[in-house]
Amino acid sequence: MGYFETLEEGTAKAYKVAEEARKKGHDIELEPEIPLAKNLAERVEGLVGPPGVAEKIKNMEDTMSREEVAFHVAKEIVTSDEVMKADPGNKDQFKIKEEAADQAVRTALSIITEGVVAAPLEGIARVSIKRNFDQTWYLAVYFTGPIRSAGGTASALAVLVTDYIRRSMGLDAYRPTDGEIERYVEEAELYESEVTNLQYSPSPDEVRTAAKNIPVEVTGEPTDQVEVSHRDLERVETNHLRGGALLAMVEGVIQKAPKVLKYAKMLDMDGWDWLDEFSKTKKVEKTEETDEESKEEETKIDDKYMRDIIGGRPVLAYPQTRGGFRLRYGRSRNTGLAAMGVHPATMEIVEFLAVGTQMKIERPGKGNCVVPCDTIDGPLVKLRNGDVVNVDSVEEARKIRSQVVEIIYLGDMLVAFGEFLRNNHPLLPAGWCQEWWIQLLENSDSYDEGQRPELDRYLQEGISAPLAFELSKKYQIPLHPDYTYFYHDVTRKDLNSLQSWLNQDIDDHNMEDSLILDPGPEKRILESLGVPHRVQEGKVVLAPDEAYTLLNTLTRPLDTEDNISTMAAVNQVSSVEIMAKAPTYLGGRVGRPEKTKERMMKPAPHALFPIGTNGGSRRNIIDAAKKGNITVDIARCKCTNPECGVGSMQAICPVCGARTVPSSSGKKRINLANLLRKAYKNSGVRKLDEIKGVQGMISEEKFPEPLEKGILRAKNGVYTFKDATIRHDSTDLPLTHFIPREIGVSPQKLREIGYTHDIHGDELNDPDQVVELRIQDLVISEACAEYLVRVSHFIDDLLKNFYEMEPFYQVKTKEDLVGHLAVGLAPHTSAGVLGRIIGFTKAAACYAHPYFHSAKRRNCDSDEDSVMLLMDALLNFSKVYLPSSRGGRMDAPLVLSSRIDPEEIDDESHNLDTMETLPLELYQKTLENVKPADVVDLVDNVKKRLGKDEQYRGLIYSHETSSIHQGPKICLYKTLPTMKEKVDEQIKLAERIRAVDQKGVVEGVLNSHFLPDMAGNIRAFARQKVRCTKCNKKYRRIPLSGECSCGGNLILSISKGSVMKYLDISKELANRYPIDPYLVQRIELLESGIHSLFESDRSKQSSLDVFL
Amino acid sequence: MTDNIINKFVDAEILLDESAYKKIKNYNDSAYLVDSLIKHMTTSSPEMMVLTGKVVEDYLERTSPDILKTTYHNDSKSQMKLVPQDYDFQILKDASNKSYTNGEIRDLSSYFRSRYHKLRDLLTYKRELKDSTSIKEAMSRDDVVNIVGMVNDIRYTKNNHKLIEVEDETGSATVLIHNENHEVFEHAERIVKDEVIGVLGSRKGTLVMANEIVNPGVPRIDEKPMDFATVFISDIHIGSSTFLDGAFKRFIDWINGDFGDEQQREIANNVKYVVVAGDIVDGIGVYPHQDKELTIKDIHEQYEEAARYFGDIPNVKIVVAPGNHDASRLAEPQPAIPEDYAKGLYELKNLEFVSNPAMVSLDGIKVLIYHGRSFDDMAMTVKGMSHQQSDLIMKELLEKRHLAPIYGERTPLASEIEDHLVIEEIPDVLHTGHVHINSYKRHKGVHLINSGTFQSQTEFQKIYNIVPTCAQVPVINNGSFKMLDFS
Repeated sequence: MGYFETLEEGTAKAYKVAEEARKKGHDIELEPEIPLAKNLAERVEGLVGPPGVAEKIKNMEDTMSREEVAFHVAKEIVTSDEVMKADPGNKDQFKIKEEAADQAVRTALSIITEGVVAAPLEGIARVSIKRNFDQTWYLAVYFTGPIRSAGGTASALAVLVTDYIRRSMGLDAYRPTDGEIERYVEEAELYESEVTNLQYSPSPDEVRTAAKNIPVEVTGEPTDQVEVSHRDLERVETNHLRGGALLAMVEGVIQKAPKVLKYAKMLDMDGWDWLDEFSKTKKVEKTEETDEESKEEETKIDDKYMRDIIGGRPVLAYPQTRGGFRLRYGRSRNTGLAAMGVHPATMEIVEFLAVGTQMKIERPGKGNCVVPCDTIDGPLVKLRNGDVVNVDSVEEARKIRSQVVEIIYLGDMLVAFGEFLRNNHPLLPAGWCQEWWIQLLENSDSYDEGQRPELDRYLQEGISAPLAFELSKKYQIPLHPDYTYFYHDVTRKDLNSLQSWLNQDIDDHNMEDSLILDPGPEKRILESLGVPHRVQEGKVVLAPDEAYTLLNTLTRPLDTEDNISTMAAVNQVSSVEIMAKAPTYLGGRVGRPEKTKERMMKPAPHALFPIGTNGGSRRNIIDAAKKGNITVDIARCKCTNPECGVGSMQAICPVCGARTVPSSSGKKRINLANLLRKAYKNSGVRKLDEIKGVQGMISEEKFPEPLEKGILRAKNGVYTFKDATIRHDSTDLPLTHFIPREIGVSPQKLREIGYTHDIHGDELNDPDQVVELRIQDLVISEACAEYLVRVSHFIDDLLKNFYEMEPFYQVKTKEDLVGHLAVGLAPHTSAGVLGRIIGFTKAAACYAHPYFHSAKRRNCDSDEDSVMLLMDALLNFSKVYLPSSRGGRMDAPLVLSSRIDPEEIDDESHNLDTMETLPLELYQKTLENVKPADVVDLVDNVKKRLGKDEQYRGLIYSHETSSIHQGPKICLYKTLPTMKEKVDEQIKLAERIRAVDQKGVVEGVLNSHFLPDMAGNIRAFARQKVRCTKCNKKYRRIPLSGECSCGGNLILSISKGSVMKYLDISKELANRYPIDPYLVQRIELLESGIHSLFESDRSKQSSLDVFL
Repeated sequence: MTDNIINKFVDAEILLDESAYKKIKNYNDSAYLVDSLIKHMTTSSPEMMVLTGKVVEDYLERTSPDILKTTYHNDSKSQMKLVPQDYDFQILKDASNKSYTNGEIRDLSSYFRSRYHKLRDLLTYKRELKDSTSIKEAMSRDDVVNIVGMVNDIRYTKNNHKLIEVEDETGSATVLIHNENHEVFEHAERIVKDEVIGVLGSRKGTLVMANEIVNPGVPRIDEKPMDFATVFISDIHIGSSTFLDGAFKRFIDWINGDFGDEQQREIANNVKYVVVAGDIVDGIGVYPHQDKELTIKDIHEQYEEAARYFGDIPNVKIVVAPGNHDASRLAEPQPAIPEDYAKGLYELKNLEFVSNPAMVSLDGIKVLIYHGRSFDDMAMTVKGMSHQQSDLIMKELLEKRHLAPIYGERTPLASEIEDHLVIEEIPDVLHTGHVHINSYKRHKGVHLINSGTFQSQTEFQKIYNIVPTCAQVPVINNGSFKMLDFS
């Protein structure tokens, strides 16, 4: 049986069990509420409908692009006979038209967003047919905040498709009044000043042009409590900011003008030509830029990632600074999709990098996740005794960590070509590395295949310096990277003093011995060059290989007269060609730490059962039940048995056992003690100390969960989320190949679930073979596994005791989870993706195939999302629990994609490289700063495999890594308890790293974290709300009565503590480091402001009296 | 103490005899008396430099108790400068050194109660609210409602009627203002959160149907005779790269009689007081990346620079209140700019620091100084109000008898035990700044003045298309308003 068939069979089995359980009638629906969708078309139908649309989409997909399909489907929906015939003058028929338009926009947007994102459901409030002042009809689309999840292009296309629908329905264009146009202009500015920056800041005239010309009304619900001055416009319902509409207009239509125009032309839509203006201005700017860009690429410094330096999140390298991360091209089996490799020894030495820790980087993108790769260069460090060593293993790193006084070089960062391609960033010169060197050798005229065995032997045994020089001479290639030092980081003068220092007693020197030198300032040059050496008995000792290399490279003093670079000068004297070892340094700082943790709401409930404030602040149902009867706001259900008709709040009538239907909700007195007693009995649990409920239901119907579910969740120590599923959240990391030993699963077990062969086609027997990962398989964290084991116990208890069926999982240890199905679901989306657990990682992350993450519309730059057990989702998820508020359907599994089609997922994963070796030509092209798109022919990636069988297998990588969870598993940020300690360590690290300016870091932390935080909190303190300790009600201003309407105590919502939080540490930093006096004064001013707010002049005066 | 008294006179180059010394020493507030005596002697009779017991006695008889009420921030140094005019300068209300809050919730509670009580006293003084009752009582009766409440919330019904929730210490009530009741509805459009209003109406179920909304309001005041000129400035922003130093120098030259035409010089000659309503310097850390727009990045040096400018204005009394750019706390009321930051200015003997807000009396003319932070909130909330027309906002605040009614938005308010922002006494002049746009209006006899700025258009203002009125200085000369241009 094939892989997908196995998954499908497992899914079908689970659905069958869930169907049987649901039939028992304990839940509001008699069937599992997550429809299965095999592909995009089915997902669209499942998410937004209309029924039957999947078939239509499938029929069109063969001949049209996805966008074309979207527009055509939308047209079909609004041009059905019923809709066309409807007369807008008639109220009911008007509604038919309006509803069709609404449906069409949603369906089209859903197709454009691959049927995954929640925007078609939550990002559009409604579509209305409205009237111009000349009495003609036009179409208006009401956007909401969650349209953000669709992204710029999709929201722009939502506007365009609305216009397409308007035309298809024969409606007129929207004719805005001057007031309405100016309202948009004002809102765009107000949004940026009051809410947050837009990705693109439009000029008022740009907004004016767009507002005037878009042929439909782009409007929306109020999103922020900010009022505009263009108030009470007849056709604009709200006087508050319409955030969703702004996103669609500015980040959508205006920012993506060229794309919108392209589709408008393709669909022969007139009335969009004005966009030409936008596209042109942008293009002109761009072409001018690119000319400059490529010239300046090497000198242009982008320090955006350093603009905010956060306390406890160290800067690891300044932009393009010597000693920073060296750019190395390639992909390891755990990199790509914005995850990048760093040597685990580097991670150990800096301690703030663990597997999955996010970094904000200088380029090629904005951020990444760090994963270990041990076939790239590790750090070069200086120890307390003066030794300078290359660290190339985790063990050594741990051993010497405490003696490190300087991190001279951080080592490599392994960046895939695909990262440059995705960000459309010109290629940067590649670091000089073995994989480049060896290709030069193989391409040398002096090389033939007969020399292969000899070469392989050299590579295996290691190449000595004399051999390296010999090979270079023999094949006329540059010197091997191991013996190439960072010459470009020092001056010619430096090298000359080094050269004469080396030659002081050279006559006695035997080339096979170490070179022993008297200490001098030249040692620092050795350090900067990255030459490892030792200090013994006060002498500097160079090992034979290093000594040989330097003496044969720096054969005579360099030319210091002519205006040439150090590299050029070195090459004039060297006996062989010397390459620039690190032509590109990458800057970066630590971002969000890695995460793997169960999803807990605050407070975390075991059951979605409302108990008001009866259970105390812990919402303990047991405490509430001690009161006997309680009054809560809850659903009212009516028995369907005509002879009974009893009202209750359960799906089964407690009197006659017939099904009930929810009728309304309201305050109701319930006998909780009695309910709990029965539920204990039903669930076969004797007594628990704590079962946590919720204060009130936030769903429309307020239908509660059966108490039994809460009892069993409490018994097994698991918590529910707002939709009644149990989630575990982890940082997303990519994985294309695994080794059975590292994921803790035996080859035998793996063979059972279909992994029969390794990467080379050999049968899988040995736990150390490398195996290619199937695209829907997951390697979950051990913490996740432990939690899911408990979830499986809960499910089995539930099946046995509540549904009275056979247990499903019968899992004892986490290994038993292997082969079981799970659902991955990302926030902002509403479609779960089916996955299968196949192993475990010690890292605090979830390793899965890049396709799997892309199917959830995530990448791996520290996005995190959840997994749940399939059976939990099928049994317990219900739409009835979803919050009725805007955005309530996001992060809920409204459909389940059972099969990933690489063509139908986010195209980010199409940039994934799949090559064993990057071609020589590519390395050479990087030196010319070419655009990645211009050399994409040289690279094999997923895009070239789409639609073929190769999209599923043979996604090979270029750099091996011996384990996907080497190095620290927990970032130091998470283990240090207080901010003071975090900042102390951050600054100590800054002191050690050569590529970081310590004073700059201190100033950065103050400037971008502590000072704004304090200033913000002082401001917030003086306009804060108050809150009731008993019922949690919030008041914008303290009531004059001084107490809550419930009689409870009121407390401040912003405490003195949060205002003072960073004051002491800021003062201490200001005292300890010679920072900018401007900052010192800002701290002083904040301090006096704080004192004025918290210290009474009376107490100051009286203390003064005492003093006198 | 003994040494102190003698030293002070020595510093002031005044000799005193034994009997004078005894009299001063035995006076119960001797330090104060010393200061005022020195001032008196240096200003009135420059030729007499020996202080005798009789002079002290005469002085005490003639002046007490009034002259001693005047507060001065005097230190041990003497008043060296001979000021030719005799000022009757008094600080009537000042919040400096009166910050009694500990930042606790009970302070917040007492702050709003203080506001409510002060304003309720003003309201119930009015005829129509003499019989007002507590809200709780009003809601238990069926007939006429006559209440005084603080506004909690303002909403609209579906049919666009206005709903205003008001509260007092006993409870709250929702007041409905019918949109066909045009006069009241129009008035209600200007109501803002947290002001205190009187409501006359009738109860209908849980709602109060309003017939009339009453503001504390101001009566028309009589014009007072004025035989001198007072200059009003604000928002000088010394230290900023957009500070107009040339214009400001011209302004100082003018005051000293060295600039302007004959008429202008005549006015200058008549100037007795200069009032500065905040933002004398640009400050530091007021907004992100401010350092890029500063020529002086040191707050002390900014005030030193200010002291150099103001040191060139002798013979005129200068009154300085802080603004949101100054080195005072941000929350209002802002205490006077601390001496630690503005040493040079403190050394100027003709310069007085007051809080924001503060009420001073200049030869009997009461000037209420308020920087104007709350204008941001008023312009955002009330239909038809804008930064361009701060006179309309000032008029509204005066009618509300509160300088910053809206809580929880842009204007930070300190939870002082007493609300210093209530306008308890009606001023002759309300002087504000902050918006960088001049305005002037006479409302019921009160001069409403916004004194513009000495800072040219900033980057921020460029983005928002705010055009400041630069170096336009309002003067009230012998009771009439004049605007002088130094740009």
